[in-house]
Amino acid sequence: MKWLKNILDKIKPHFDKGGYLEKYYPVFEATDTILFSTDKRTHSGPHIRDSLDVKRVMILVVIALLPAYIFGAMNIGYQMALSLGQTNTWSENLIQGALKILPIIAVTFGAGALWEIIFSVVRKHPISEGFLVTCALIPLIMPPTIPLWQVAVATSFGIVIGKEIFGGVGMNIFNPALVARAFLFFTYPVRISGDKVWISGPDGYSGATALAIPAAEKSQDAVTLLDSVSQFDYSWLNMFMGWVPGSIGETSTLWIMVGAIFLLVTGMASWRVMVGAIIGLTGMATLTNFMAELTGSSNTMLTLPAHYHLVMGGFAFGVVFMATEPVTGTHTDKGRWVYGIFIGGLTVIIRSINPAYPEGTMLAILLMNAFAPLIDYFVIQGNIKQRMARYAK
Amino acid sequence: MKKIIIYKGHDIRISGIPTKETSSIPKSETVALLPKTFRGVKPKLLVNEGDTVKIGSPLFFDKTKPDVKWASPANGLVKTIQFGARRSVEKIEISVSGTEAIRGEAFRQEQLTRADRPTILSRILEGNLFTLIRQRPYNKISNPNDTPRDIFISAVNSAPLSVQIETVIESEKEAFQAGVTALSKLTDGKVYVTFRNAIELKDAIVQTISGPHPAGNVGIQIHHTKPITPGDIVWTVNPQHVITLGKLFLSGVYVPDVIVTVAGPGATAPQTVYAKVGSRVDSLIINQKLTDPTRLISGDVLTGQLVADDGFLGFYDSAVTLIPDTVERPFMGMLSIGSSDTKYSLTNTFVSLGEKLFKFTSSQNGEERAIIPLNAWDNVLPMDILPNELYRSILAQDIEEMEQLGMWECDDEDFALCSFACPSKIDVGAVIRSGLDLFEQEC
Repeated sequence: MKWLKNILDKIKPHFDKGGYLEKYYPVFEATDTILFSTDKRTHSGPHIRDSLDVKRVMILVVIALLPAYIFGAMNIGYQMALSLGQTNTWSENLIQGALKILPIIAVTFGAGALWEIIFSVVRKHPISEGFLVTCALIPLIMPPTIPLWQVAVATSFGIVIGKEIFGGVGMNIFNPALVARAFLFFTYPVRISGDKVWISGPDGYSGATALAIPAAEKSQDAVTLLDSVSQFDYSWLNMFMGWVPGSIGETSTLWIMVGAIFLLVTGMASWRVMVGAIIGLTGMATLTNFMAELTGSSNTMLTLPAHYHLVMGGFAFGVVFMATEPVTGTHTDKGRWVYGIFIGGLTVIIRSINPAYPEGTMLAILLMNAFAPLIDYFVIQGNIKQRMARYAK
Repeated sequence: MKKIIIYKGHDIRISGIPTKETSSIPKSETVALLPKTFRGVKPKLLVNEGDTVKIGSPLFFDKTKPDVKWASPANGLVKTIQFGARRSVEKIEISVSGTEAIRGEAFRQEQLTRADRPTILSRILEGNLFTLIRQRPYNKISNPNDTPRDIFISAVNSAPLSVQIETVIESEKEAFQAGVTALSKLTDGKVYVTFRNAIELKDAIVQTISGPHPAGNVGIQIHHTKPITPGDIVWTVNPQHVITLGKLFLSGVYVPDVIVTVAGPGATAPQTVYAKVGSRVDSLIINQKLTDPTRLISGDVLTGQLVADDGFLGFYDSAVTLIPDTVERPFMGMLSIGSSDTKYSLTNTFVSLGEKLFKFTSSQNGEERAIIPLNAWDNVLPMDILPNELYRSILAQDIEEMEQLGMWECDDEDFALCSFACPSKIDVGAVIRSGLDLFEQEC
């Protein structure tokens, strides 16, 4: 790869101060350091540094998303075949799915990179690797049937409004990928509101998602209702495995768990948030089950047990990859528990009390993004109070 | 006896560990003091170029505290006095020619035990060695008019590649005890001496600490013993300087000896050597064959200062660290799986198994970025402090919040590991220092 390095070294002067491409230095710098790492040396303070940098952090999150990508592609193919009444081999499924996903990925990265470059050049800040993660997340939370122009618009909105106007990665208050999805969710609800399934099958082919079924019926038992669906296999195990229609990356709890383990082992995500969310979800679902029995409410969603909540909709994906995003979440360890528990609890509340939005995770995380600084504020005040008590002695 | 146990922190496995035995090397032909390196000091000269000075004669004093003078670490001729901008004194260099020293009153251990504060204080000030005593907060030279709440001595060197201080104290036990006894007269409180393995000591509270670096940092020990609250002043003395003070009392002369490690991945023959205070760095690395570009650091690799070949050992330093001053740029390095030879991380983000010593270079290993709160700082800071929030309050120059978040207890050296571990390559220690400077101006 010496030749490539030589080329980069040769064109570098044009991008340096005074060169005629000076404006585009961030683009050169990003290319140079992505290919060959940085040439920066320490100048004071600790003269040696840990090998981990933000580039590695971001690329590890992208790697953690790969299982969801591969399974997502297979599932798209599988659902297509199912809707056409065919049986395909797994490799055929994978190829069919990949043909659907790749254009979405290409459009996301194209739009994301474009905005990132524009902002870096205009605002003269380095291109941040954070957009790699944002752009890797966006396709996974889109339905496979999404029109590509909507992907481009949503990505642009997510990157610009969700991140760049705050100053870029590290300063944003909402998760940019979720902002992108929320934008589509409220702007083009027909495509993405989450009550109808999205399958790239024959025209007009439709059905209800697993979460929409109990939301639509009154006074029934949710589990019995799900088991009675014949169009799709909405059994617990099948939903855990992920062979159900849904957004590209969200369906398989199993493969999301593989990504979660990777994130936890490398330390790139907080286990407190994940465990907190599961506790919150389980607690709130148990409470709603109890309330349903106690009050005799006609809301079927209230009878959905916790272990179903865990594998349905975007909960697993949202908690593992969105809620654990360190910048927009809480920054203190105690705060992370509260943040996680609230996300889990709110997911159940939004899902069951408000049947218009059968998918609650996205809204729960965005809501808690907004409250994260408040939670941190209380944790910090706790720390301060302790110290002040000691000072007073 | 109190036993402090800390869990957070990290002992960096850096290669080039110095020998346990201390060897003699030819002494430096010139020694120097660098007045501008002392924080908050306004130096005023007491010598001119061409003057002859003895060991212990005053070279300059601090205009803000005229009693505090700096002792000459050598007998010889004042070779050069170098001035910087606005005639600030940068360097006083002395060419060494003899061993004549200024002799003052000597004490026996029993006399020390009976002595009172004024006697001890005036002897230290006369001996021009008050500069060895530093205070917290701010980690600067103490004011002799203050009476400190307590005095803390850390007899633990946990920093990478540092001197085996236990052996040094063992061999100079008498002087160390004399120093501790003398210091105990200066405070109304106690002298706390913290060891890895406790030894018997009079006139002090002996305690132990276990755990990784920064266990040896005196700031961490204060935090876990009796935290600094607003208005408190605590004095600290390096263990080697306690010995120097002890010798001043026992023999009546300043003995400017210091045991120094010359080590690090850039050193070809890492060793521990006998040296004089203010030695030229090139005289200390005489046994090292440096071929590749090498960075010389006076002090340890985490908190030391970069020095040039013709630079001098820092006044408080007892280490010279050498690291290769190079950066390797592997193709697609961010995707590499890593190995114990190529990557070193506190996280499991690379496959680098085993406890192998790592050959660090001066590479920053990444560009500076906004904070990504992955607990990298919290995991290496064994204090009840929220580093992220404190850092933000300093950037916002919010003095009140800084105080509430525990600024009084902080010093930049305790945050050096945070900078080491930070994936965003932020120099946390430097920001803490700027916060302390702001604090000092305003409070």
